[in-house]
Amino acid sequence: MTAVADKQQEPAARVGGVRVWLGRHPLAGYALRRFGLYLVELWGALTVAFFFFRLIPGDPIQTLIQTLAQNYVYNAAASAEVIAHYKKEFGLDGNIFHQYLVYLQKVVIEQDFGPSLVNYPTPAQEVIFRALPWTIGLLGLSAILAWVFGLLAGALAGWRRGRPGADLMTNLSIALSHVPFYFLALILTFVFAYQLGWLPARGAYDARMDPSWNLEFVGSVLKFGLLPAVSIVVIGIFGWLLSTRMLMVPVLGEDYLTYAQAKGLRPRKVLTKYALRNCYLPQVTAFGISLGFIFNGNVLVEQLFNYPGIGQTLVLAIRILDFNTVMGVTALAIFGVLTANLILDLVLPSLDPRVKYWR
Amino acid sequence: MVRAVTGSWKLAAGLITILVLVLVALLSPLIVGLIGKGDDPIAIAAYERWLVPSPAHWLGTDQYGRDVFAMVIGALSTSLQIGAIAGIISTVVGVIVAFIAGYKGGPVDGVLSTFTDMVLVIPSFPLLIALSAYAKNIGIVEVGLILAIFSWPFAARTIRAQVLSLRSRPYVELARVTKARDLEIIVYELLPNMLPYIGVGFASSALGAIFALVGLEVIGLGPGETIDLGKIIFTAIGTGAMTLGAWPLFVAPIFLLTLLFAALNLINIGLEEVYNPRLRGVAGA
Repeated sequence: MTAVADKQQEPAARVGGVRVWLGRHPLAGYALRRFGLYLVELWGALTVAFFFFRLIPGDPIQTLIQTLAQNYVYNAAASAEVIAHYKKEFGLDGNIFHQYLVYLQKVVIEQDFGPSLVNYPTPAQEVIFRALPWTIGLLGLSAILAWVFGLLAGALAGWRRGRPGADLMTNLSIALSHVPFYFLALILTFVFAYQLGWLPARGAYDARMDPSWNLEFVGSVLKFGLLPAVSIVVIGIFGWLLSTRMLMVPVLGEDYLTYAQAKGLRPRKVLTKYALRNCYLPQVTAFGISLGFIFNGNVLVEQLFNYPGIGQTLVLAIRILDFNTVMGVTALAIFGVLTANLILDLVLPSLDPRVKYWR
Repeated sequence: MVRAVTGSWKLAAGLITILVLVLVALLSPLIVGLIGKGDDPIAIAAYERWLVPSPAHWLGTDQYGRDVFAMVIGALSTSLQIGAIAGIISTVVGVIVAFIAGYKGGPVDGVLSTFTDMVLVIPSFPLLIALSAYAKNIGIVEVGLILAIFSWPFAARTIRAQVLSLRSRPYVELARVTKARDLEIIVYELLPNMLPYIGVGFASSALGAIFALVGLEVIGLGPGETIDLGKIIFTAIGTGAMTLGAWPLFVAPIFLLTLLFAALNLINIGLEEVYNPRLRGVAGA
């Protein structure tokens, strides 16, 4: 991004001049190439997704008219005119390539995802942004907690390797780190919600309350979010523990650590300031990418807990072929992952002098 | 290979677990027949409904009076079959893409890798939901095929990384100097050394497919005909097994799936240790 700005500051930006300038500024050249790749990837992934969804058989307009008829809003049999109107409204007229061009133009130039079919005439953006805070709140908070605890636990498991407690944790992580946290969520729900009755099994907050920023409501949100959050955090910790330990143990044999210990530094300081510091960067990268995936929502967890997040919205939208909402969620997810990757690729070389992407 | 297995308890434990599960799946018609003692224990109303676990019914019965233990054994077999189909397809595609990309390098590699990354970035779960919503009554093979569409990029990516590191080894250079053709080099020199990694790639895409199907079924969008482990979990949630305290109905399939995941992880880490001795004592305990 900065590279683009820098380039504009160059007054004599002839083709040759740019090339010479880029040769002298390898980082800018790298950033520019990386950003170009980002745009291509963004466009490519969106295009693949668009055509894929449109190729699903089914008639969303017919579904909409049926829903309207069921709600007594629309009484007569749908005339061709009404159908044509709705088709235009939802960007479903013409052949698939025409639809694609119209869609691209609408999204890129007007930043408009079109109306949502589920909550017509509410725009798809609005439906998505209503669900987004729940998903980001639950998944974002859980991801951060899992990463912090996982990193610390992994460092400790590496530091104290060979001791029974640390090795038990490591082996437990090997077994459980790839288990879908949905499984843990099911068992926790069974025990704590249905058998003991301590925590609510479904929903995001007490249905008798109105969403607002008071202590009571926030408490309710926390209470309802506890079970899904715990299952995500626990499985997440196992995963981060394992990968941190793998990075940590080779570092422990390095000379500078022996030296630090020989200097008589306290073990805790050696662990955090010397050992952990040299192996946490790859984990920052991985964490950034995992944050990007948050926009995917977690369909399974949200479905199990009836949580009003992005995943729920997506399932509902796909069921009635609400293309605009489905594409909106998908676009957001693709955008999230790719942008996280881009930012990391651009920032990492300045964080870690050992990382060099440009020649 | 034998020494590799005996040398690492992780590799051995993982392989044995998978072998046992596959064996159980292969023998499942026999086992189910033994449980039924001549009758079909999965037939509706074969026994009383919602029986608690007992010597007669190790895991109790479900809402239709089917024996849960027999159901789980049968479902394990179905799950593994779907995983095998999806795994084979995506491994073959992944290996081809990876070898072309990794071996040819240059622009070919650039285009193929970018395409692989693109497919990886698209959230596959919504696409799967969409596909499955309109493919209700399909068989095991079709399910495997659909799942394979989304699991080949993972295989392609990991295998490509290995090809890249192998390509520049001295013995490959030697083969190239002796004017061996590309295909010969790939088949005789590279492929044999890649087999363990291809095996792990196969197992992880198979597991990925099994889990993707579990996910679909749990939200009620699985194919209608098959009873696999995910379908049992879904029925457990849908029929109120949680409130009735019928825990085996969802704990048993979860246990088996977790065992599969754990076994694969053990093999993965075990292989790394065997092939990269410097990591010994690093990866695990």
